[in-house]
Amino acid sequence: MSAITVGPITSAAPASPNRERWIAAGFAAPAMLILLALFVVPLGFLLAGSVLTGGGVSLAEYAKLLGTSYYLGVIWNSLRLALLTTLIAFAIGYPAAFALARATGAVRSLLLATLFLPLAASVIVKAFAWTILLRSDGLVNTVLITLGIIREPIRMIFTETALIIGSVNIFLPFMILPIYSVVAQLDRRMTDAAATLGASPVVAFLRVTLPLTIPGIVAGVALVFSLSVSAYVVPTLLIGERYPTLASTIAKAYLLARQPAFGAAAGVVLLVIAIAVITLSTRLARFGGGR
Amino acid sequence: MSRNDSDGAASHLVVSQISKRFGTTAVLDRIDLSIGRGELVTLLGPSGCGKTTLLRIVAGLATPDGGSVAIAGRDVTRTPPHRRNVGVVFQNYALFPHLTVGGNVAFGLRVRGRPRADIAKAVQRALSLVHLDHLTERPISALSGGQQQRVALARALAVEPDVLLFDEALSALDRKLREEMQGELRRILREIGATAIFVTHDQDEALTMSDRIAVMNGGRIEHLAAPHAIYARPATLFTLGFVGLSTRIRGTVVGSDAGVVTVDTSVGRLQAMGQFVPGSAIVMAARPENLRPASDSTDGNCVSGRVRSVVFQGSRSLVEVDAGEATLLAELTGAAAMGAVPGSDIRLSWPVAETFAYPAPGPSA
Amino acid sequence: MSNRIAIAFAWTAALGAAIFLLAPLLVIAAASFSPTPVFDLPIDGASTRWYGRIGRMDGFWPALGLSLQIAALSTAISLVLGTLAAITITQKRLPGSELMATALTSPLMMPGLVLGIALLQYFRALGLGNAWTALLLAHLVVTLPYIARTMIAGLARFDFTLVEAARTLGCTYPGAILKAMVPALAPSFLTAGLFAFLASFDNYPVSIFLTDVRAKTLPIKMLQYIEEAPDPTLAALSTLILLATVILLILSDRLVGLHRMAGTAE
Repeated sequence: MSAITVGPITSAAPASPNRERWIAAGFAAPAMLILLALFVVPLGFLLAGSVLTGGGVSLAEYAKLLGTSYYLGVIWNSLRLALLTTLIAFAIGYPAAFALARATGAVRSLLLATLFLPLAASVIVKAFAWTILLRSDGLVNTVLITLGIIREPIRMIFTETALIIGSVNIFLPFMILPIYSVVAQLDRRMTDAAATLGASPVVAFLRVTLPLTIPGIVAGVALVFSLSVSAYVVPTLLIGERYPTLASTIAKAYLLARQPAFGAAAGVVLLVIAIAVITLSTRLARFGGGR
Repeated sequence: MSRNDSDGAASHLVVSQISKRFGTTAVLDRIDLSIGRGELVTLLGPSGCGKTTLLRIVAGLATPDGGSVAIAGRDVTRTPPHRRNVGVVFQNYALFPHLTVGGNVAFGLRVRGRPRADIAKAVQRALSLVHLDHLTERPISALSGGQQQRVALARALAVEPDVLLFDEALSALDRKLREEMQGELRRILREIGATAIFVTHDQDEALTMSDRIAVMNGGRIEHLAAPHAIYARPATLFTLGFVGLSTRIRGTVVGSDAGVVTVDTSVGRLQAMGQFVPGSAIVMAARPENLRPASDSTDGNCVSGRVRSVVFQGSRSLVEVDAGEATLLAELTGAAAMGAVPGSDIRLSWPVAETFAYPAPGPSA
Repeated sequence: MSNRIAIAFAWTAALGAAIFLLAPLLVIAAASFSPTPVFDLPIDGASTRWYGRIGRMDGFWPALGLSLQIAALSTAISLVLGTLAAITITQKRLPGSELMATALTSPLMMPGLVLGIALLQYFRALGLGNAWTALLLAHLVVTLPYIARTMIAGLARFDFTLVEAARTLGCTYPGAILKAMVPALAPSFLTAGLFAFLASFDNYPVSIFLTDVRAKTLPIKMLQYIEEAPDPTLAALSTLILLATVILLILSDRLVGLHRMAGTAE
């Protein structure tokens, strides 16, 4: 994708391959070591911690997690939050990315700013803002009453609606940006070409534009899903105990209940979900891009 | 004018026995090349022939496996590029996007720690040489391709290098601009008496620009000579094929006398310049402008055939003629060009003195 | 016809998204001027008294200091190491470049909470008890993927002939890297550094497991304030953080342009 124009001068192989290789290895080594020592090995410890209890290996914690209807409900809560967030973010983000890509000059700068500023703003600040917005005497209720849509303030904070609104709000930029970067590179002549070949705008969109934007869609969906499935701050502030998730279960197991083995098992389940999403998305992107 | 003999004391850049392999492939095979002061030599060849690698070795950007490079009497084989005092114009110009035009041209002098006043003067001088002295403060992104090319040249000139190296420097320009720049570059290099190596795969560029051309193929120099000699008397079949168009006819030598061989071919008995023992398989060749419609009194080589195609090229027409297994290529002008119509019969002749002979390559080649 | 509808639809979505995204930020700013302690929007009369109270919040200054230290240090270290690794990856001088790139950016997609508990158990097993060190090490893993991703994208577009040009013009190899590559990659450095810094400064799910009573980062402190006693002081603090972010973004825009950053961010 990132095509570089390199003259023949650089395309020739380096001067002394062995020395260059050692330098290259030396450049990469510190970062890879950090990754190994502070990411891969700790995850290994986590995995070990989830099955090692007392003297031997035991899957008891997993049995508890995957065998009790309460904890299955917890896992479903996390997935449901991620699914709804991803779906709504896509519905808003996909067309918005097109508008952003078509915008020019000051409008584009303004739209980009509205994208970057929330992205750069603290999650806690934004979640906190939604607690203010969604209170029964908050702005949303006031506006709805003033507009005559509702008579009585409706209870929003600490409901699933509040959770989803907050979650979509926080993760929406992660949907728009990858799609935008693909759409911005789209050659508009493609749809023109499709039109000259007899495709109606709808057909041109379905058969040309949509397939070409699949890499962006896959990246955005994977990013939003994996971020929202493990969200912790948003559920904590916007719905709390009423909607236990895997994330809150993990935090509770470590910070309150002192059940590290159970927390580790929940962590591994969350990790498996994240890895599944990434693996699936890489496959999908390859499939989409390979056509 | 041309300096065919530059092996003498005047040699400014001497490449001797340079070899380079990448893995198991030999990219350069014991290359020898001497370039006189103020001379422009072009390395011409197809991609992968080793010309760019040779240029990189001269610049110090690649290290040879064997052999040596000397610039201005100094062995620089192990000298890093920043102490070689060479100027390189890269294919994509490699201009620094964060610097202005002036900043780019001044770069080499700043790095060398020259005094500010000297730098300003040298930058102005280099930029006026390429007619861009009015754009000193422009950012690089605001320049056209042709202007960027000139800035790249000015940047290389500003450091007053011992040798100027051009790596496909004009290939990114469109045809008209490229031809314009060829003339201009020639003028500038003459003006400052620069010694230069020019790498290109474009034979027209090589023929226009160079004092001498080194035709390269498979890591070796096939033919090193002045442009007219390369064209008129190609030393090898490869040079013949790579530079200019030609008619080629296979045959077997049946007689040899005083540098002229008589050859049996599928289109009859012909003659060519060359020394071969009878029985040798050869390829004989002639340039298209030497082929003429034959009149009865013509001597020399004569072949009949049927016109296959005529390509009108303005002042001349390129005519392809089927003659048995051979295809003749003639460049005709005026009335002769008018007479050639596809499908019509034509009889062509050309002088024996303009017919070269080469040993035939194996049937697979 | 359907084209026009599609365009109108796209613009509606974009404007809706813009308003939706900005809403919480505007509300926080407005609430920080609330005249009463219960987040009344300052429709009648604004007050700036909450700003004066920020500094007096329990444990605010140490938390701010800690967060700034950890964010700045981890970003700086990751910038150097991530860029070096990105050079190797984009130059493809070693086998497995793709794999290295995927590995370096993979923590981005991993649940932060899981990284937090994994590091907690790991550091315990190693006997690392110092919260400051634990936080710094953990935040290297938080910042490194951001840097690696942006720098790999930036370097993939970088023309290494520039380095060769600088060398032939008289620069040593390190000199050429410094004079030709670093300035040309400034937008990437800025984007990478900015987002890595913010990711670290804002991080909650990793930090929460690694702090102790004395060393608490600002996000942890803020969530604690919100849960214990939310009042407009928090809104004021949030507004100040937002303001600092806005200034950073404006500076970046002035320096390299947001659209260039959007291009380098993904």
